[in-house]
Amino acid sequence: MNRRKFLTVCGAAVAGTYAGLKLQRPPKLPNGPAGNSAVSVMRAKSYSDDLVSRMLEGIRQCGLDARGKRVLLKPNLVEFDSSTVINTDAAVIAAALEAFHALGAAEVKIGEGPGHRRDTLDLADDARYRAVIPGFESLFTDLNRDDVSPVANFAGERRFYFPNTVLGADLIVSLAKMKTHHWAGATLSMKNFFGIVPGALYGWPKNKLHYIGIPESVVALNRQFQNTFAIVDGIVGMEGNGPVQGTPKPAGVLVMGRDLVAVDATCCRIMGIDPEKVDYLRLAADLGHVHADRIEQRGETIASVRTNFALIDEYKSLRLA
Amino acid sequence: MLALHGVPGSEAAVNRAWNLARSWELADGSVRPNGAVPDGTWVTALLLILADVRGVFDADVERSVGWLVRVVGAEHNLATRTFSALHLLKTKLDVSHQGWPWRDGNASWIEPTALTLVALKKVSRLHPNGEVQKRIREGEELVLARRCSDGGWNCGNPNVLNFNLPSYPESTALALLGLQGRGAQELAGPLAVAQRFRAETKSSLAKAWLSIALRCHGMNPEKPPEEARTSTDILLTALESLAHSEGNHQLLSTGARA
Repeated sequence: MNRRKFLTVCGAAVAGTYAGLKLQRPPKLPNGPAGNSAVSVMRAKSYSDDLVSRMLEGIRQCGLDARGKRVLLKPNLVEFDSSTVINTDAAVIAAALEAFHALGAAEVKIGEGPGHRRDTLDLADDARYRAVIPGFESLFTDLNRDDVSPVANFAGERRFYFPNTVLGADLIVSLAKMKTHHWAGATLSMKNFFGIVPGALYGWPKNKLHYIGIPESVVALNRQFQNTFAIVDGIVGMEGNGPVQGTPKPAGVLVMGRDLVAVDATCCRIMGIDPEKVDYLRLAADLGHVHADRIEQRGETIASVRTNFALIDEYKSLRLA
Repeated sequence: MLALHGVPGSEAAVNRAWNLARSWELADGSVRPNGAVPDGTWVTALLLILADVRGVFDADVERSVGWLVRVVGAEHNLATRTFSALHLLKTKLDVSHQGWPWRDGNASWIEPTALTLVALKKVSRLHPNGEVQKRIREGEELVLARRCSDGGWNCGNPNVLNFNLPSYPESTALALLGLQGRGAQELAGPLAVAQRFRAETKSSLAKAWLSIALRCHGMNPEKPPEEARTSTDILLTALESLAHSEGNHQLLSTGARA
């Protein structure tokens, strides 16, 4: 075989393998853990609605007991652009603070380690956190620069360091924003935990996690931290080229639950995304429920609130039929 | 330590801090970020800068230089370069140059690359070394190749999935610090972007880094109309002190001996 023929054969083999992998049907998802998961979808048209009442109702519907717990609220604070809606709205955080106090939490703190920007408090200012959330500065910890302690065997690392504020919490509440994401398809309650990885150790934008792989890291973080609850801010989400450069998309909902996989699967369905095609949810299918028939929908039905989020070309194939 | 360097009455505190930082040096030359973490990271470059400022160049410092010369951003591997050449990467990323990661084994980014460039440039003025010079040239090329379409720098890539990413004030400032010594014409555009950021940004941290970078390039940053809020953040206070017209910003200059 001459060199040209050899290269042609190799090229055909590579192309064939690639096409085969692309056309291959993904394996069937596992059924997930035993039992069903409750996910509450509460309608909220605007941030001036009574969000505390809706959260209390949603939390009740999902059967969460927060009494006596040290609660850490983990918003999605990434960067600020006045022309769009990148971050969890300040009103949602303020409402969660009030709701968890009302539910008898021993303490409620706020922690975030933004993935892009260094000046976290300035970012919090821009996002109006300091203006809207009472006592914000005394409640807030910049997780990028918090003291850290090791956990063993995280994502293939013998030792991985997490902020002490996170490790010391009895309950971590993922206050995520409902957004599309140019690497993950969607960023919701599970991916929001990227912000708990300390930037001072692992870099910005959480370099280590991007290197491990985004879906793999999302699942590893959620496997590590299971003392969690999710409240997704879908009152105004982001569509298109999220998580930063997309455009605002009002969905008018708060989505809540103890099973973050089920919460994200529900959010996807609301956004018109097939959760069974989202890599990180497929990988997380043993942690929680992706299948619709294993999720007990409380509050609004998905059909009544579904509004398709625009998807970039890369993710058009995720569209829910 | 940089902010307090040479400040009368601070010697004891600075020496204490120096001894603590040196106790975090590891046998391979890398430096731990604090007492709780046993592995060395990007902060190795910071210790080298401090060592240069204090006129220290001993065997431990030499080992740190060696470690930084050895560490290469992981995207520079053969597989990624091949994928890049075949246009199979999802980013328009030039992976032909060697930069520095936040941690050994990860991809290179602007900030650790820029800080390492400052450290190696400072060290190599008195202790020239061919390998170091080669890495400096490579690092500069990486930074230049990752410039955003708007003229400054993002944390890493200038483009993702065919969408241009915006530059950030603090990343732009750090990139310019790392590029000290490059031609004035080559940096005229980025310096203009930095000046605009300096005038427009509200972030105290970004303002401080931009002032330091502009001063290290011989420019006098204009005072913005609204001055920064007061802060109890030690890192921010130190940076603001360095950035002041009478501060120690020249300690981050790679052009003249401190």
